[in-house]
Amino acid sequence: MSKIICSAAIRGAHKIVGMAEEKYEEALKKWGPDQKIGFPNTTYYLPIIYGMLGIPVDTLGDVRQILDKCKELVPPPVSDNVWLPYLAPALEAGMATYFAEEIIEAILYLEQPDFYTKAEDTLPDNIWLGAADDVIMRKRGVEFVDGSAPGFAAILGAAPSNEIAAKIAIELQEKNLYVFMCADHEGKTMSEQLVEEGIQIGWPTRLVSFGPSYRAAVFAIGFATRVAMSFGGVKPGDFKGNLHYNKDRVFAFAMPLGTVTDEWYANAAGAINWGFPTIADTPIPEVLPTGICTYEHVVSNVPHDKIVARAVEVRGLKVSITKVDIPMSYGPAFEGERIRKDDLYFECGGGRTMGVELTISKDMSEVEDGKIEMIGPDLDQIKEGDKLPFAMLIEVAGRQMQSDFEPILERQIHHLVNYVQGIMHIGQRNIMWIRVGKAAVEKGFLLKHIGTAMHAKYHQDFGGIVDKVQVKIYTDEEKVKEVLELSKKVYKTRDERVEGMTDETEETYYSCTLCQSFAPSHVCIITPERVGMCGAYNWLDCKASFEINPTGPNQPIIKGECTEPVLGQWKGITDFVNKASRQKVEQISAYSLINFPMTACGCFECIATILPMCNGIMVINRDSRGMTPCGMKFTTLAGMVGGGNQTPGFLGVSKHYICSKKFLLAEGGLKRVVWLPKMLKEELAERMKPICEEMGIPNFADMIADDTIGTTEEEILPFLEEKGHPALTMDPLM
Amino acid sequence: MSFEVPKVSYAGKIRKTPLGQEGNTVTVGGESCYPFHLFEGEMPCPPRIAMEVYDSEPEDWPDTALEPFADVIKDPAAWARKCIDTYGAEMIAFQLAGTDPNDKNITADEAAEITKKVSDAVDVPMIVLGCGNVDKDTDVLKAICEVCEGKNLIIGPVVEGNYRAIGATAIGYNHTVVASTPIDINLAKQLNILLGNLNVPDEKIIIDPSTGALGYGLEYCYSVMERIRMAALVQEDERLQFPILANLAREVWKTKEVKVLESEAPLLGDVKKRGILMEALTAQCVLLAGADILVMRHPEAISLVKESIKDLMTGN
Repeated sequence: MSKIICSAAIRGAHKIVGMAEEKYEEALKKWGPDQKIGFPNTTYYLPIIYGMLGIPVDTLGDVRQILDKCKELVPPPVSDNVWLPYLAPALEAGMATYFAEEIIEAILYLEQPDFYTKAEDTLPDNIWLGAADDVIMRKRGVEFVDGSAPGFAAILGAAPSNEIAAKIAIELQEKNLYVFMCADHEGKTMSEQLVEEGIQIGWPTRLVSFGPSYRAAVFAIGFATRVAMSFGGVKPGDFKGNLHYNKDRVFAFAMPLGTVTDEWYANAAGAINWGFPTIADTPIPEVLPTGICTYEHVVSNVPHDKIVARAVEVRGLKVSITKVDIPMSYGPAFEGERIRKDDLYFECGGGRTMGVELTISKDMSEVEDGKIEMIGPDLDQIKEGDKLPFAMLIEVAGRQMQSDFEPILERQIHHLVNYVQGIMHIGQRNIMWIRVGKAAVEKGFLLKHIGTAMHAKYHQDFGGIVDKVQVKIYTDEEKVKEVLELSKKVYKTRDERVEGMTDETEETYYSCTLCQSFAPSHVCIITPERVGMCGAYNWLDCKASFEINPTGPNQPIIKGECTEPVLGQWKGITDFVNKASRQKVEQISAYSLINFPMTACGCFECIATILPMCNGIMVINRDSRGMTPCGMKFTTLAGMVGGGNQTPGFLGVSKHYICSKKFLLAEGGLKRVVWLPKMLKEELAERMKPICEEMGIPNFADMIADDTIGTTEEEILPFLEEKGHPALTMDPLM
Repeated sequence: MSFEVPKVSYAGKIRKTPLGQEGNTVTVGGESCYPFHLFEGEMPCPPRIAMEVYDSEPEDWPDTALEPFADVIKDPAAWARKCIDTYGAEMIAFQLAGTDPNDKNITADEAAEITKKVSDAVDVPMIVLGCGNVDKDTDVLKAICEVCEGKNLIIGPVVEGNYRAIGATAIGYNHTVVASTPIDINLAKQLNILLGNLNVPDEKIIIDPSTGALGYGLEYCYSVMERIRMAALVQEDERLQFPILANLAREVWKTKEVKVLESEAPLLGDVKKRGILMEALTAQCVLLAGADILVMRHPEAISLVKESIKDLMTGN
């Protein structure tokens, strides 16, 4: 932590604790140790002291031990020739500062009972509200927990002008944040600035004027501390629980406007204990590494028009959008809608014109959330039947965003655009195709609204990984060409990334227990080269799913030591499956049909099983209705495989996995496959090619029998012999 | 060689959950075996029945259900008293059906006022159930938590869409929550995890995995309840070791079978007997699936089920 900041915070703490000591001695002389002290109408005593130390300060006499504790906490002033990191001492100084300030404020209540209004609203002659009583805290505090108010901005000082003060306040209000105001800058306070601007302040407008001194910051921190005790079930004295609760749930930050004094530094250092960072408008030193707070600790010199956005970003506050603001209805009900030729107003892509859609991630500083740009003519500038090229470039940024998630987000464009009433979307990437109906255009629909919808839905559905979204829509031919070129590069990198990913290159695999509702002991293990048997979840999907929903069905598993490379067994995976199946499944192999095959839920795309006479394996897909050489149809086989049971010799697999290099490695891989339904063989033909070539048998696909050759082992065996199928000469399967 | 009954060995236990306030506490849960498998483990707290009371006069009830409460139907507090004094109710389940925006749309403040009145009138644990509209329930239940501070009401349904608001308020004012999920063990477990993350204490959670009426999807609901109990007891799944509530009366009493008169369908027999049996049998089923609290309506159905519980508990 910056030495300048630490030194200042420790100096500030010394001053404030000294002041508390003085005030206490004075008060003790005047009222004696039995005098009751505290904040009005609260069962939490002096809340920070009560929350952190578990000590109820009820009388002046109780204060002594707290002051002693403060002295214990405040470190000696920083000397010039020591260069240690100062984080811990500064945090302790900050904590002592709050204890001392609570004492000073409690004595102020004693000395001047009417200094604060002790109400929700300001009075004509007094705008200072002071500590919130329990009624206000209960009513307002629950909003922090349920998310209707994500947190608060503790503003110290004043803005350079009344207009700027008003602008900052309104911007914070728009984010549903409470604004807790205290302290002055050159004799001016933000609360007064707002009043002068004719803005109503008080709890009902969420603009809370706590007090004129920097010490009133304790009312904000005390409020947060009480929220944790009241709504978080955190016990008094459980300082760790309380601080963590605030860090994780109360999205608060300090925003000093104006000269940062030693006392302000002390308060800011204290706030860091709660995970509340400081965002300043003055050029104070910054503290950027992550540690106590979720992200940066002190960010400075932020211009006033950017300060709210920056604060929201530093604190990690999520934007919540409840409605998709476009002139058309929006929802899954419109997904399957078709726009026929007669209803068509405009279309693009789909071979008619150039068309491309692309989602890429950018640095946080390069994306301005909510910015939707239209470059080129929109629907209101063209005639019915006109054609335009189209490119949509969605740029996202987020602390948890990874470039691996780009294709997952991009894949959503299809259904998210289809959700718009009166719009049809087909395809993806640079084969996308959009049709806009006449009815939509009549209602005022513009291409720009597609961007609006994407912005809203990315926030709603992927808030876990996306913090900022901006959308650019191009109908200008030159620009569309540029995006098209960019997209080709991006797709190439993406495809290489997916192809280059192997089970060996990744240390973490993912579980999928989505189907445990009907197959209670089933656990799917998803590796880069083994897509979930339903075909719906690949490794990257699981990775993103975990980021978005950390308590959900896709959990990361460190695979650990590989115990059986050919069967596909790892220590970490074995332990996980054992636990997640609640001891029903002892061991699974990722690559074997015979030794501990993976259990199946019932959602498998295909089933693989053994044909003993042919010394090979057959695979049948769900859509195939006919008889198979193993003597069972798909439906009968499904009964044997599903339900979370381990049935050696029977395995649920996805179509994708059949063409994986890890497909049934233990049994010899694709080479073992002797029978596939014709429809499946045709579907897989393209993807099988490179594997066959790698095997050194380029015409291998032709050696595989299908239902047109036969549906019993006796019928297909002569065919295999004639073709010289490699399985016939491989090691016996059983 | 003598015959020995094969026994299931249980690794887990359902959490013992005290309901109500000091002086009138009823404890549920605590099972260390499948329902009524007393030869394998213990059921220290027998299942309990909560009698329904509605916030406003019901409009679509068949006469069978209306008749016992005809004299108190307009006054929820008196209705609750009658359940306790006349029918010996061990718990009250106060149903806020009238708060539904598509029904009478009673406001949150009014609902809170009525609930407060009823809660002051009763001396048994009280369950308070919203109408099922996520947003309305949030407003209504929050208001109720506030005015009934310290009464340890059992409030619900708390669902994924409002668990944070209601869960946090319940912690703040010291109430118990009913975590409701639509017939899915995974969702049930996930909601319990989420409530735990919110710091709702474990002894303040009751789960409602959804119930249907006999002949209306009951078997599916039965299986889910059964599965939850299996996971909790045998597979030691900690986030499912909670007592189960079955809100069954409202499901039973809206079916065609309890309403059609004998004159219209002579094959179905006496309408009163039929309704009572429909309710009693639905209750009996969920009891065997593992329910700890049954929300019921008709006094005669209740006395049948009570008797059955007594028999099962004493092994007669």
